[in-house]
Formats: sequence, structure tokens, C-alpha cells
Amino acid sequence: MRIPIVLKVNGKEHSIEVKPNEILLNVLRDKLHLIGVKYGCGIGECGACTVILNGRAILSCQTLAVSAAGREITTIEGLVPEGNKELHPLQEAFIEEGAVQCGFCTPGMILSAKALVDKNPDPSNSAIKEAIRGNLCRCTGYINIIKAIKTGAEKIRERSKR
Amino acid sequence: MSNKKYHFLGKDFPRKDGIARVTGREVYPSDIYLTGMLHGRILRSPYPHARIKSIDFSEALSLGAVCLSFKNTPQKHFNLRQVSVPRATYKDWQVLTDHMRQVGDPFGAVAAETEELAARAAGAVKVEWEMLPSYMTIEQALAARKDLIHEKVYLEDREITIKSNIACTREVAEGDVDKGFKEADVIVENEFSTPRVYHCQLEPRSCVCRPEPDGGITLWPTTQALHNTRILIGDIFDIPLNKLNVVRITGGGHFGSGIHTNPVVLITVALALKSGKPVRIVQSREEDMYDHCRYPSRYTLKIGAKKDGTLVAGEMKASVDIGSHHIQALSYLGVLAGWWHSLYRMPNLKYEGVAVYTNKVPTCAMQGYGAPQVTFGVETTMNMLAERLGIDPIEIRIKNYVGLGEIFWGQGPTVRSLIHSDGVKELLHRGAELIGWKDRPDPKTQTGRFRKGIGMARGFHTSGTGAPVPGEVKDFTTAQVKVNEDGSIDILTALMDHGGGTLDAAAKLVAEEFGVPFEKVGISPADTRSTGYDVCTHATRGVYCGGGAVLEVAREAKKVLLEYASRILDAPVGSLKTKPDFKLGQGIIYVEGMPEKHITLAKAAQTAMNKDWGTAIAAGSIRKVNCPPAYTTYFVEVEVDMQTGRVEIKRVAAGSDAGVVINPTLARGQLHGGFYRGAGYALVEDTQYDEKTGNLRCKGLLTNYKMLGPEDLPDPEDFQVFFADTYEPTGPMGAKGIGEAALNPVPAAIALAIQNATGIYFTRLPILPETILKAVKEGRDHV
Repeated sequence: MRIPIVLKVNGKEHSIEVKPNEILLNVLRDKLHLIGVKYGCGIGECGACTVILNGRAILSCQTLAVSAAGREITTIEGLVPEGNKELHPLQEAFIEEGAVQCGFCTPGMILSAKALVDKNPDPSNSAIKEAIRGNLCRCTGYINIIKAIKTGAEKIRERSKR
Repeated sequence: MSNKKYHFLGKDFPRKDGIARVTGREVYPSDIYLTGMLHGRILRSPYPHARIKSIDFSEALSLGAVCLSFKNTPQKHFNLRQVSVPRATYKDWQVLTDHMRQVGDPFGAVAAETEELAARAAGAVKVEWEMLPSYMTIEQALAARKDLIHEKVYLEDREITIKSNIACTREVAEGDVDKGFKEADVIVENEFSTPRVYHCQLEPRSCVCRPEPDGGITLWPTTQALHNTRILIGDIFDIPLNKLNVVRITGGGHFGSGIHTNPVVLITVALALKSGKPVRIVQSREEDMYDHCRYPSRYTLKIGAKKDGTLVAGEMKASVDIGSHHIQALSYLGVLAGWWHSLYRMPNLKYEGVAVYTNKVPTCAMQGYGAPQVTFGVETTMNMLAERLGIDPIEIRIKNYVGLGEIFWGQGPTVRSLIHSDGVKELLHRGAELIGWKDRPDPKTQTGRFRKGIGMARGFHTSGTGAPVPGEVKDFTTAQVKVNEDGSIDILTALMDHGGGTLDAAAKLVAEEFGVPFEKVGISPADTRSTGYDVCTHATRGVYCGGGAVLEVAREAKKVLLEYASRILDAPVGSLKTKPDFKLGQGIIYVEGMPEKHITLAKAAQTAMNKDWGTAIAAGSIRKVNCPPAYTTYFVEVEVDMQTGRVEIKRVAAGSDAGVVINPTLARGQLHGGFYRGAGYALVEDTQYDEKTGNLRCKGLLTNYKMLGPEDLPDPEDFQVFFADTYEPTGPMGAKGIGEAALNPVPAAIALAIQNATGIYFTRLPILPETILKAVKEGRDHV
């Protein structure tokens, strides 16, 4: 059985057919070719597949594609509107602060960070740790990631003043 | 440190792969999708030790799957790890066999058009098993007389009969150990053990293979070693190397799990060859946990010292439970002796190591390759000796450490070299000051529920495995450097960057050498058809050996360029200098003392092209003849809850002697990451087994495996990193390595901080809350 749905991903609507048991992770990767959504475990343990769904960071491997129909999905590819050559302040900060090593956790980590700073524009260390505890990073020891999220949040605050 | 002012070294620039990685455009092996590609699924043993009597693929075939078993794959024996020379490489592995040696051992595979269909086909395969007795501990394995895990293995073409499941042994002796112990005033002896940690690189080991029209194949594997993968697969499947292309592709973390060619790569190749179609296999996390883990260790360590703290003799006996296969346990046994001997001067030494097969996940390199294992016991023993002798732990280390002007052989007895730079004292003194070492608590007088403790440990890693005389380990890098017609430069090498910034470091060295802006130096995409041999990015060799090779080749290319410039400027080559002109965004070549007489790199390269002189290009294979120790020290403050046994890490002062630091922010990141993995190793991480079923107790689940999270680590403000002010004369512009040294002393530093808080020396890792509570309850000072 296939169900026709409309997935709103990064501001674009995609009319596709999915099976009732198909998970959002596989649909985003296999059908929409959004490889920035990473497969690290497929069972909700590592956070590599994090996307933003209606403003909340969620695990796309734990979400049925049908349940995401009609809701706003943001993947790392959509953090900056298409055609905009600049990076998002969090993306810039991740590079500057050395928060990127192998990079496999980076898309999910940045999206968890974005969901946090959208709600809490000046997060404390503990608020950041709480927000990223579901995003496993095996390279960095999290120190530079925490710094980058603070720096990114600061950049966003400064830009909004302008 | 040299007085030379560098333009790029020691300064931060955005990493070249940064934009791809923060925008989700970096492509990893699990991201490769090819037209007409099949999805593979590996068939694995549910039993720890068994033989397959029969396999029935009929149902899987009727679903349309391509099916593969040990009956269709080459039966050659090999070792997945190709870093050592053939005479030191035991071969016990086959692509697939009917003899299952651990839960998760592969015996076949299926491929189908969708992942779902492949999973259904895999589930439809029927197997008839013959059960064999399983050996889940060293003791059980050594007691076995029949039904051994391996009956015969190979060393070069020699067949070796395995006895009592012993994979190999190694002995090292120097001086006269009996005489040494007689001279000792104090002798400390303990047994230490360290756990079987899972790498948990975030991307499960994966591979995509495409058969090519000329009979060759193209591979996108998770690997740290492009050329070794190519050579091994060429040999097993009889594919000419000029038709076998292994593409360099970013891996989602390795930590040593990609030094050897992963079994998934071989199986993907076999499926692609059988089906004639591209095949992709991405392991599940559970499969990945049954695929590889860190070498555990168990050893007795006896060290004797004089009253003044001078070490006089040492004896170590190590037994290593290597699991179902040999991924180079012989060299592992060698480095256990090497790390020990090269930490502290030991004039009389005796070492015996034995590697034993068991029906567990095969063990392989993981950050440190034996160094954290040994450093844990040695550093703990140093504190015990210091306590017995009434000497400050820092003083006893300064008195005995192997430093400037001494010979060391960290990478085992066949890799010996001389030490030319040494920042150990500086690291110890600065770290002590930062943490407040003088004011550390006295464990004997502490009371109350929450007790603070400060611990310190030092260690090192070799920068690669180079030495004046080649030993058992291969070590060289091939590179090509060329100047383009717009004054930019391309570096081509099979060297890999696992995220630490190795290739950015190589680019900075070239930018510095040519005097061109960093942005002008590019790293070319690489594969095995376009590059010469590079052993692998492992052993903390990336910057020192790999970057060093790139720099030497760049110097050759620069010679060619300067010769062209000399003709253009009508000045002798010896008078020419280069420097970056940041306004022009170019490098310029000028005559020393006559700055008006100059030309841009672009102009020189264009003129050389238009006059048909050629391209300024060079290529070469370079072997470093040293592997200088990259020293590290960690000072750690913890707080132990005496009621729950919970350890909280409060502050860290991490010191690194990496010579001239090329990428400061990324280098600090190496220490943060090394600390995190080392702290998990000390406090929580271990893969334990259900001995009856042979299954991992965590059942392949990350949440059950347990790792530290961000909430378990200190805040960024409480994690200080500092670098020694040293210059490595044999290194590329004074640099040496950092990577593995960033972890090696961490477990010891944490264990000794816990000792400082509780008064209890812990000799077994991980130090779990229940272990602490039990020891406290029993009033132990040593457990």
C-alpha cells in the first residue's frame, strides 16, 4: 500500500507516495536526496538524523514519513534559503570554533542547536548540554561544540540588533 | 621554538572542508547512491562457535536476491591489516568461511534492489548448524585441546599449527632484570586490566563497490588506508591494481577502526563481482558493534626503584584476549613493551606477551594502540612508588622519563630513534600550576560525602613509525605538488584526514614554503589510481610523516619554479626568495635585496607554460627516519560522591608538546576529544559478554553500551589546553604529532584523581560507581 503525501521540506512542497511504515529518514535520503540527514543507528540512539519539525529538533529515524506530512521540515540543506551564499551564523561558528571534526554528527548537531537558540537566544552551558545530549559526537568531546553554539547565538543576537 | 615568523603556521584559518561539513554536502561512503545499485545484507552467525553444515538459499533466490556464501568466495588466507611487513603479518582471515568464530561472524550475504527486499531475503536463508564449544575467556581458550578457534594460520607461505588458541607470543629483554631487582630498595607489583572499548565512530563501517566495464572495480569504503585496501583486495580477488580504484572519501570517524580493511568491504566487493552490479552495504549499528573493538589488556607490572626514585628494573607479563581473529596482535604485543620502555628509563627489563583467541569480537587498533592500556598501569605504579619513597609524583617522573637525547622505541623494539625535542618538564610545571597541584588534598585526611581529588599522568605517542632502519612497520607517504597557471597550488596525496585537520596542516606547510596565501593551496581529490602509496593515516603520523612528505615534495616543485623565475628575472636561483602578497592575493618571487625585481607565481607559471618550459611540478615518496614522541600531560580534578560512587570531572588542564603547532584551534580540539574518549574509557565504557550465548550484553545498543555525554564533561571554561614551546628539528617546520597522545595518559590521570579523593588505587578499568562504593565499604586502599 502506498499513501500519497505532501512533504514540506526546506520551504518546498514535494508530492510523493510512501508506504505506511516508511521512516522520514529514508524518505529524505532516498527519495529527496538530502544526504545531510545522516544514518548513524536508525533506532533513535545517536542523533545524526536530527531534523527540525515544526520548530522542534526530532529524530527522523523515529518518525514515520506519513506523520510528517503537511508539517514544516528543515534539514541542514535548508538552514539558509536557497541561493543565499552566506552561511547561517551557527554554521559559521561551528567552523570558527573548531566544532567540526569528522563532520558526521555536524548537521544534526547544528539543527539541535538551532532549535535551541530559536527559543533561547542566550543559552547557558547547561541549557546547551541539555539540548545536545541526544546528539552523539565521538570526535570533539563537545567542548568546541558548546563554544560554537554560544558564539553562533551571539552572532544571531548581534545581527538581529542591526 | 624557532624565531622564524610563520605566516600561516600557528594561526587559525577556516578548515577547507568546513563549508561542506556544516552544510550537509560532505559525502561519506554511506551517502553514495549509484544508478542500478543493489543493497547488500550480510548473513551472520548467531552462535559464538559453530560450523555450517548446510545453507539453503532457495527462498532468498525466489525473492530475486543475489546470494553469496563461502562457497563462492576466494579461500585465500590474509590479514586485514597491511601496515606491517609480510614477515610480521599472521594470516588467519578469509572473505567468508563455514567456521563461525564469534556471534556476528559473516558466512554469506545477499543483495537486492531495495534494502527491504535484501532484509527479507536475508531472513529467508536457512542454515543447519553444528555447534562447537565456545571459549569466552583467556582461561577457557588456553585450556582447549580440540575444536580450536583456528587450527592453522599462515605467516608468509608458512603454515602454522595453533596450540591452545595461542595466536602469537612475544618476548623482549634488556639488561639483567634479576640483578636490577636486587639493587632496588622498593618494588611495587600489581595486576592491571583495561576494557574492550567499542570505537563508536558515528558512521557505521560501510562500502559501495561498482564493477567497471574493463573488469575492474571502483570502491568507496570506510577506510584509513586507501592503498592497503587496494593491494589486499587486488590480491584476494585477483584484480590487476591498475583496474582497481579506491576513492578517498571522508569517513564519519575512525579512531583506528579503519586501519585494517573492514570485512564489509570484502563482502561488498564479492557481491558486486557476483552480481555485476554496483552494491552498497551500510552496516547497522548492532553489526558494527560485532565488527571491531579496542584491544583489552591484562598484565602484571613489577617495577623496582632506588631510594632516590631512580628506576632500576621492571617486569611485565601481558595476556591479550584478541577475540576471533588476528588484526596484527604481533605488533600490538611489541608496542605494549615499547610504550612501557619509552615512558621511563628501565635499564633492566623483561617483557612477555601472549595473544589468545577467544570467541569474541575481533580486536584492533583504537586511539593509542596499547599506550593508554600500558600508561594506566605504569603511571599508577609511578604514584605508588612515589608514595612509598616520599617523593612528589612529578619529581619521580622528571627523574626517570625518557627525554631529550635518549633512544626510544615506542612503536616496538624494531622502531628505534633518537629524541630531538622534549617539552615534558614545561608541561608538568605549567599543568601543576594551572590545576593547583601544590594544594591538592591529602587523601588520608579527607572526610565528608563529596571529596575532591587532583590526579596527574603523562604519556606520549610516536609521530608515526619512522626510524633510521626500517623495522616491521611500513611508513612512507607519496605526494605530488604542482604550481597552477594562476599561482595556486595543488597537493595530490593519498594521505587522509580523519577530522583532525591533517590535510589543512599539509596545505599550510606548502603555503608557508611557497609564500602563497593559504586559500591558494588546494587539496586535490585522490584515489589509488592517481596517487602513489601512502601507508595509512594512523600512529599519529599524519602531520609529521604525511605533512613532512608533502613539504619535501613541495620544496622540489619550488626548485623547478625558481629555476623558471631565475630565467625570467635574470638573477641566479640562489638570490630568489618568495613571500605572500596579501593585497594581490598571490605569492611573489623576488630578488633578495632588490624587492623591485619580482614576479608573481602566476606570471612565472604562465611564462613557463607559454615558453614551453613546462609545469613546476614534483612528486616523490618520502620516509621519515624518526618518529619523535609527542608528549602530553593531563591534570584532572574530580569530585567523588562517597555515597553513590559517582565521579564528577570538575576541571582539566591538558598540556601537549606537539612541536610547532600548525592548527591551534583544531589541535586544542584533539585534546578535548582525546580527553572525552579517555574519560569514558576510565569511567564507563566496556563491551561485556553473556558467556552462555556469546552475545554482547549491550545487545548492540548504544544506550546500553554507555558513553559519557556533554553533561558528564566540564564546561569549556574549566577545560584548559596549553602547548609546550618546542621545535622538532626533524619535523616539517618544527612540527610533530598530537592525535593519539591526546588520549594516552587520560585514564591514568582520572584513576589517580580518584585515588587522591578516596585514598584508593584502582587497577581495573572502567572504574564504575559500584566498584568505588564496594572498595570504600571494604576499607580498601587498593583494588
